[in-house]
Amino acid sequence: MHKDKMIMYMVVATEAVFFTLLILAYLYFHKSSGTGAKQTALLDPLRTFFFSLFLFSSSFTVWRAEKNVDKRNFGRGGFWLLVTILFGATFLVGQGIEWTGLIHHGETVSANLFGTTFFTLTGFHGMHVLVGLIVLSILFGLAVLGDFKNSKTALSVGVFAIYWHFVDIVWVFIFTIVYLGVIS
Amino acid sequence: MTNSPFNGVSPQAQAISHVFIISLVVLAFILVLVLGLVLFVMIKFRGREGEAEPPQIFGNKKLEITWTVVPGLILVFLFILTVIYANRSDPSVPKGRQPDLVVIAHQWWWELKYPQTGVVTANEIHMPVHKKWLVRIESADVIHSFWVPRLARKMDAIPGHPNHIWLESDSTGTYWGTCSEYCGAQHAGMHIRVIVQNQKDFDAWSNEQQQGPNIPQTGDAAKGQQLFDQLTCLNCHAIKNIGPNLTHVGSRETLASGVITNTPENMARWLHNPQAVKPGCNMPNLYLTNEQVKYLVAYLEASK
Amino acid sequence: MTDSNTTTLSAPISLPREYKGLLSWITTIDHKQIGILYLAMTFFYFLVGGIEAIFMRIQLAVPNNTFLSPNSYNEIFTMHGTTMIFLVVMPMLIGFANYLVPLMIGSRDIAFPRLNALGFWLLFFGSLMLYFSFIGGGAPSAGWFSYAPLSEKPYSATPGLDYWALGLLLMGVGTVSTAININVTILKYRVKGMSLKRLPLFVWMVFINGFIILFALPPLNAALVMLLVDRQLYAHFFQAVAGGSAIMWQQYFWAFGHPEVYIMILPAWGMISEIIPVFSRKPIFGYGFVAGSTLAIGVLSFAVYAHHMFAVGLGHPFNIAFAFSSMAIAVPTGIKIFNWIATMWGGRIRFTTSMKYAIAFIVLFTIGGLSGITFAVVPIDWQVTDTYYVVAHFHYVLFGGTLFGIFAGIYYWFPKMTGRLLSEKLGNWHFWLTFIGFNLTFFIQHFVGLLGMPRRVYTYPNLPGWGWMNMVSTIGAFVLGISVLIFLWNIFISLRKGKPAGDNPWEAWTLEWAASSPPAPHNFELVPPVNGRRPLWDLQHPDTPDWKLNKAES
Repeated sequence: MHKDKMIMYMVVATEAVFFTLLILAYLYFHKSSGTGAKQTALLDPLRTFFFSLFLFSSSFTVWRAEKNVDKRNFGRGGFWLLVTILFGATFLVGQGIEWTGLIHHGETVSANLFGTTFFTLTGFHGMHVLVGLIVLSILFGLAVLGDFKNSKTALSVGVFAIYWHFVDIVWVFIFTIVYLGVIS
Repeated sequence: MTNSPFNGVSPQAQAISHVFIISLVVLAFILVLVLGLVLFVMIKFRGREGEAEPPQIFGNKKLEITWTVVPGLILVFLFILTVIYANRSDPSVPKGRQPDLVVIAHQWWWELKYPQTGVVTANEIHMPVHKKWLVRIESADVIHSFWVPRLARKMDAIPGHPNHIWLESDSTGTYWGTCSEYCGAQHAGMHIRVIVQNQKDFDAWSNEQQQGPNIPQTGDAAKGQQLFDQLTCLNCHAIKNIGPNLTHVGSRETLASGVITNTPENMARWLHNPQAVKPGCNMPNLYLTNEQVKYLVAYLEASK
Repeated sequence: MTDSNTTTLSAPISLPREYKGLLSWITTIDHKQIGILYLAMTFFYFLVGGIEAIFMRIQLAVPNNTFLSPNSYNEIFTMHGTTMIFLVVMPMLIGFANYLVPLMIGSRDIAFPRLNALGFWLLFFGSLMLYFSFIGGGAPSAGWFSYAPLSEKPYSATPGLDYWALGLLLMGVGTVSTAININVTILKYRVKGMSLKRLPLFVWMVFINGFIILFALPPLNAALVMLLVDRQLYAHFFQAVAGGSAIMWQQYFWAFGHPEVYIMILPAWGMISEIIPVFSRKPIFGYGFVAGSTLAIGVLSFAVYAHHMFAVGLGHPFNIAFAFSSMAIAVPTGIKIFNWIATMWGGRIRFTTSMKYAIAFIVLFTIGGLSGITFAVVPIDWQVTDTYYVVAHFHYVLFGGTLFGIFAGIYYWFPKMTGRLLSEKLGNWHFWLTFIGFNLTFFIQHFVGLLGMPRRVYTYPNLPGWGWMNMVSTIGAFVLGISVLIFLWNIFISLRKGKPAGDNPWEAWTLEWAASSPPAPHNFELVPPVNGRRPLWDLQHPDTPDWKLNKAES
């Protein structure tokens, strides 16, 4: 395994533990605070699922980007990177809509424990998506500038994809636990 | 006698002392063995100038397994002791058993409530000898820990998570304790006294506590009572529970959670400037005049 | 000398224009320079933490003392603990690992040199953020483990805890990035012939440690993040009054906190496992058990954490379970002591300063380990937790253990890093003053704790024994202070006029001793062939190499 991919897997491992703990905090208070059920009724699973589809699909698009760059189709690779960015940004827009909706209903991070755990968990996930989008933009820029002809840069798309898939998988867990109410 | 866990005067504390001594003896053997071996090798295998390299030994599976299994067995022994003595020193609470005493930890004093009699006091627990009391331990603010070494185990006082310990004593006397979980500025000044009395004396104390103190209607004490009511003392010391209940403060041995002994001079010192006696505590300097202090001291000392 | 087994490194990569002086240190991405930066920074904080300790000991020398106000004392003991753990012990070990691992595995540098530099600078700036709190409104004063809800805004209104949390988050990112950097290096950059079974034990320990760091830091980061959200965004994770849980902080913190103490000892065990064989002139006794037991500890270290919470009232089953795991972990920890003693057995021991520290490590770590076992006996813990008995215990394992190991390592590898030997004469003074000062300071703390003295108290009443015992401890602290001055002097004078060391002053056997002292920027011209665990022994003894002597494993 290439060292770049190896270290990215290690980073993913440490982040996985971090998110697990935030999810555990959510679950613990959801059970113990007794108010969780009322607040989750304010969520909109269907709309969030719609926006989640964009995030899930972006895993596919980043994979296409990686495959094309590996085959030295840099134009196509750049295109797929752009689509990934757009899909990721759409997901974040959906998150924004969800958040503003909740806040308008008085559901804030300081209102109660549902707010505290929900916003912390989805906030950190959203932060990770945002960081991913920034890196994607840099990669896209490099693609446009023709930097991918250097094989080292080309490898970085595959390395980044590991991170992006991870962010996606975290969302699968969050969506299932928070929106679908599994394990609670 | 020193406030050592080895000087237990309750069955629970003595149980702990017992298992402690057994464990120390076992572990001391191991320490002596290790020390002995180290000293031995240092002396016997000291190198000298120009010597050839010694035989290169890489290991000995049998030996290594032995010194893995033997410590393992010792630890199994200690584990069995742990299970037995955990139950002896902290027996389970029977269902439905109500507490005889409720301790609510505050920054930086101990609120004491006796549910059966309604007595409310602070910092100094009175209890009868030879009685196995159930104590509920709570906190009004941050995490504290209730610890009277000669009587019982330590138990944390955690907001939102009441705990229970057994408190009993085989002999009368006064037993010292202190807060044992860092709780802020005056963690060091949050002592406990458990005054174990024979049943007669305890009943007398309890009755006295249930009645109001006899404050004379005239004189300094009466003026002090007036001041106490006017100067907002009640705000913290009665209504809001920020400070300890002072109804019978005159009969206490110490003030400020055991930081100073209860004498009129110390009481005056405290009233003049609490921050000088217990810096960081929640009682502000009220800039009382000498006269006000005189009256208040008379009132509070009369509140027996 | 070349043969078909020698590995020649490819032509040196084009190095950037070399800067002389300060700029070269600030811009370096070389693992050796970065390692030295770690050592220099952490030594500076060792002095800072030591001064904080001296202040504490002065305040505690007599009962009811007024040298420090309660608030000052509380800030100082919080910063002392935070500094010693996060800014001294952990990064000092990481600095050693940074310097030594590539050399020990025959590599040119670490896997990601720029990430390596980033790791250091994150630590450095994180430390500045933490210390800024002293002038930024007040240092944190909730203890190094900042239990909630004391750490929440209502009870800790100054920004000290925010600096603490942010500083630790920054430092944590640096630590994890360096740990995984080193681990990738160990996995991908070993010279030909160096299988994982032939790794020097120091590298093994660092490797396992890297995985502990990887999994143990996230709980701390999660807890810190939750604390910051509570403090800055008025959330309720840890506020019981709003339905939060004070105990949750403890669970998350100790899920980090316990593995953390292993993070702070594993590399030291590695150093001892290198040093004792060399100065006994024999290989380590039982390489397999030493490495294997450490692997077991790496895994088990996550299963014992709640032994810090026996007094929280979580119920007998919970307590007993953690008592069991805590006793279990004592086995792989303890057997190493016997391995080290067996290494010395039948040897020809050379009592260099390094070896004195290593032998003292064995004794002092044993004492600390045994007192640790008393805590696993839950009822005993119920009496001694949060007293000076604990303070004695952890100083025996962290100071008598790790720090003595580090001193052994400094005397051992200083010649490699600088080309000069440290003075053995001054080293002898340093050792004895440290040994005496350390024991004077901390041994008596076992007893004052057993007399009922709790920890984290800015003063104490005049109870029998407390006064004179504390005074003895304070005197010991001053002896330690003097020992540190002697050490500083030794470093200073040896850097200028120390005896030239040569490549291998100790006649040691691992690869770093094949490089020059100090090593060239690219570490090796030629890496010796590796056919066993002691490449230089094999080179020096072509008739009796390890693979001939040791039929069991090579």
